[in-house]
Amino acid sequence: MFLVEPYSFLTARLWHGRCCGTTALVNQNWMLDIVETVSHFGEPLARFVMKSFLKSFFALGLLAGVSVSAAELNVYSHRHYDSDAILFKQFTKETGIKINVVKASADQLIQRLISEGKNSPADVLLTVDAGRLHRAKAAGVLQPVKSRALAKKVPAPMRDPEGHWFGMTVRSRVIVYSKDRVKPSDLSTYEALAKPEWKGRVVARSSSNIYNQSLLASIIAANGKDKALAWAKAVRKNMARSPRGSDRDQARAVAAGLADVAIMNTYYLGILANSAVAADREVAAKVGVFFPNQDGRGAHINVSGGGVTASAKNKKEAIRFLEFLTSAKSQEAFGNVNHEYPVIIKNNKSELLKSWGSFKADDVNLSVLGAKNAEAVKLFDLAGWE
Amino acid sequence: MAAYLINIAQHRLRHLKQEIRFKLNAWTISALILGLILFLPMAEVLWHLTSPAENWEHLRDTVLGRYLKGSVILVLGTAVLSVLLGVSTAWLVACCEFPGRKFFEWALILPLAIPTYIAAYAYFDLLDQLTPLLIWVRLNISPEAMTLLSDTMVYPVTIVVLAAVLYPYVYLVARAAFARQSSQCIEAARTLGHGPQSTFWRVALPLARPAIVGGVALVIMETLNDYGAVEHFNVPTFTTGIFRTWLSMGDLQGALRLAACLMALILFLLVLEKWLRFGARFHKSSQADRPFQRYALGQAKAGLAILCCLLPLVIGFVLPLSRLAYWASFNAGKVLDASFLKLTLNSVGVATAAGLATVVLALFLAYTARYFGSRTVGATNRLAILGYAVPGAVIAMGILLIAGQVTRTTGWVLTGSLAALVLAYVIRFLAVAWQPIDSGMERNCAQLNNAARSLGANAARSLFQINVPLLRNALVPAGLFVFVDTMKELPLTLILSPFDFETLSTRTFDLAKQAQIPESSVPALCIILVSLLPVIWLNRQMRTPEK
Repeated sequence: MFLVEPYSFLTARLWHGRCCGTTALVNQNWMLDIVETVSHFGEPLARFVMKSFLKSFFALGLLAGVSVSAAELNVYSHRHYDSDAILFKQFTKETGIKINVVKASADQLIQRLISEGKNSPADVLLTVDAGRLHRAKAAGVLQPVKSRALAKKVPAPMRDPEGHWFGMTVRSRVIVYSKDRVKPSDLSTYEALAKPEWKGRVVARSSSNIYNQSLLASIIAANGKDKALAWAKAVRKNMARSPRGSDRDQARAVAAGLADVAIMNTYYLGILANSAVAADREVAAKVGVFFPNQDGRGAHINVSGGGVTASAKNKKEAIRFLEFLTSAKSQEAFGNVNHEYPVIIKNNKSELLKSWGSFKADDVNLSVLGAKNAEAVKLFDLAGWE
Repeated sequence: MAAYLINIAQHRLRHLKQEIRFKLNAWTISALILGLILFLPMAEVLWHLTSPAENWEHLRDTVLGRYLKGSVILVLGTAVLSVLLGVSTAWLVACCEFPGRKFFEWALILPLAIPTYIAAYAYFDLLDQLTPLLIWVRLNISPEAMTLLSDTMVYPVTIVVLAAVLYPYVYLVARAAFARQSSQCIEAARTLGHGPQSTFWRVALPLARPAIVGGVALVIMETLNDYGAVEHFNVPTFTTGIFRTWLSMGDLQGALRLAACLMALILFLLVLEKWLRFGARFHKSSQADRPFQRYALGQAKAGLAILCCLLPLVIGFVLPLSRLAYWASFNAGKVLDASFLKLTLNSVGVATAAGLATVVLALFLAYTARYFGSRTVGATNRLAILGYAVPGAVIAMGILLIAGQVTRTTGWVLTGSLAALVLAYVIRFLAVAWQPIDSGMERNCAQLNNAARSLGANAARSLFQINVPLLRNALVPAGLFVFVDTMKELPLTLILSPFDFETLSTRTFDLAKQAQIPESSVPALCIILVSLLPVIWLNRQMRTPEK
């Protein structure tokens, strides 16, 4: 019979047929064969075949089409917040335009837009962080938009000078401190975190994260490349542990006593403070928010925002959608549900955000942060900030 | 030397000529092309080992060492721990008699149903559990000591989580090796005065070494393939490096070169595995061998044996599964909705397509090589199944690259199409289907094919009337295994999944990444339940042996 050994399939799959004699006739050497054949003629042959058979291969029709119908809007969104779902529904209710959302990480969405090119079904790209919006613009997947309403509602530093993207909400990357162990008067600037007195007391997340990249980009813009590198190196040395986890985890680490200060975004604290989990609310109660650099350029801010894609087939609806998101009502919803500042910060109505006090924001044009993003990533690598 | 090489070249040429003259037909040509196409993405990536990339110098000088270090520590640690868990339990189950042995014999495979990233999510707070210890160290020793401890803890924690679900690979091969060792060897050792301990160290273990090395090779490849777990625990490895370089730096070329380095590392490991076995073969036992007389364990020792088997089972299966089930029980309502049904259907649909396509292709490739006795097709087959050793992220990069070239030459957009995704799965898992089909064909169909040929049946008739019916027992489980592997697959799916297309595995990853791990337990649990199917099937096969 075929099945001599009950596990023969699994075991064959496990490549051990050849070595433990379960199946006498199983090819005993296939792994070696693989190695041999690869070394003998794998590469040049594959190269040859690639050239000659490429066309016939794809002539097999490996295309998948995506249909787009009228009165619909296809949104590629990185934002995965409840506030957005509520606003999307509201938009459909007001305009009758149905919204199809594809949620994925912004980096993937941008890569997808690039590879889909002109055929992309997307009309709008929504994402967080100006660095990413700039990346999308640089990749050529966004188109310039002229809208008086948008120009009025979105302050100049919060949008692309050419209209490729517009900020929708603002968040500040601040210093969060332990109320027990740190006095606000001990804190002053981002730069001060590099001082030796903070050794073993700082936590922050990985430099793969765009929020950190934009923060470093703003420091490059303010202090120059060399000082920014020295800062990243020194702060990395001051860290209580290697960078890991989310922004929320940094607040948790400070509340638990692993460290004294954390670099994180404001709205995460809002989410913790309003969490259904009691432990999260405790974390939020134990830490305070400090807006740094108030005597200088101001606290680093960033936006989440969006733009109309270069391939948009529903451009009018797309612009209408962006205008809807910047309307007073939508702006308030962002604040109340997701604890983000409205794009005009002083219009803030959320009580929680008001409780952290008003602050001076760094008014560098956010497109500068995008331009310096790649440099920031490299500096992080050089500084050893994982 | 030169004469020798010329001789080989001449021999090969003659052989090739023969193949071209007698074996060139529609079957062999299409099998050749198909095999090479399936190998193409990997060849593409390897090709980039030396191609220029603008950020390469920067990557090499800053992060390459870190990725290499992280990958090597993980691989070594996971391999050692898997051997400890796998070999010890295999020896107990195969060669000792204690209460519960039969239960452990199959239960110890169960962790195989849990993908590494889901295991990491089930143990997501393992590091947080250490917080009190860290705080104690910070207050009583020094902040520096805490930093050191906290940074080194990442590795053991990840290694434990990975090994807890990967050890069954070693366990399975080691158990099969122990169980099939000729009883004469063991009895000879006994008559020469060796107790169980010394028999294990001096006879059984050396005899099983080649098999164990094979199992460890699989553990290592799964470790290198993992993306979700290392991402979660923030361990710098090649896979995280590929994603970071590609997505954060927007540098596809740099990412490709990292992928090429990873692939070179794997080829090196394949050679190393071969070398470690010194070409050694496991002593082949004939069917007529008497069954092995197991060592009866005394009460105390039996207790220890049960503990020893219980430990990996609990940390690798019972604990993660019960934690996930607990979270799922009060998150199910929140997560289970129409969209969840859709992504389940997506998962099942794409896995079914991949399973079917893989089986059909594997059948076609193996059959053509065997029926026409073509060594060239055989060689391309082996190139094509190499994908099983290559991490999903690397294959995905290769496919992207080729798709990019196609878009440039023909204007067709391939990325983000379902076809490209299924093709990627076929490449990744072809070996899973090819291996049992090929060995089954060799065992059952070779002579019959020749007979049919002499009676005038053509290749197609021989395939459908002889091979397919005879191989029914191999085709179904082969498809099932590909199906399950596809359901579990993460990195490749993340990179290649099409517009608006989520699967259970990508939803699990997304939810976990948004710090919604309790919610992610629901899709994770679905994956595990589906993955249990082949284990249950295997178990049933074991209870009702053929003949």
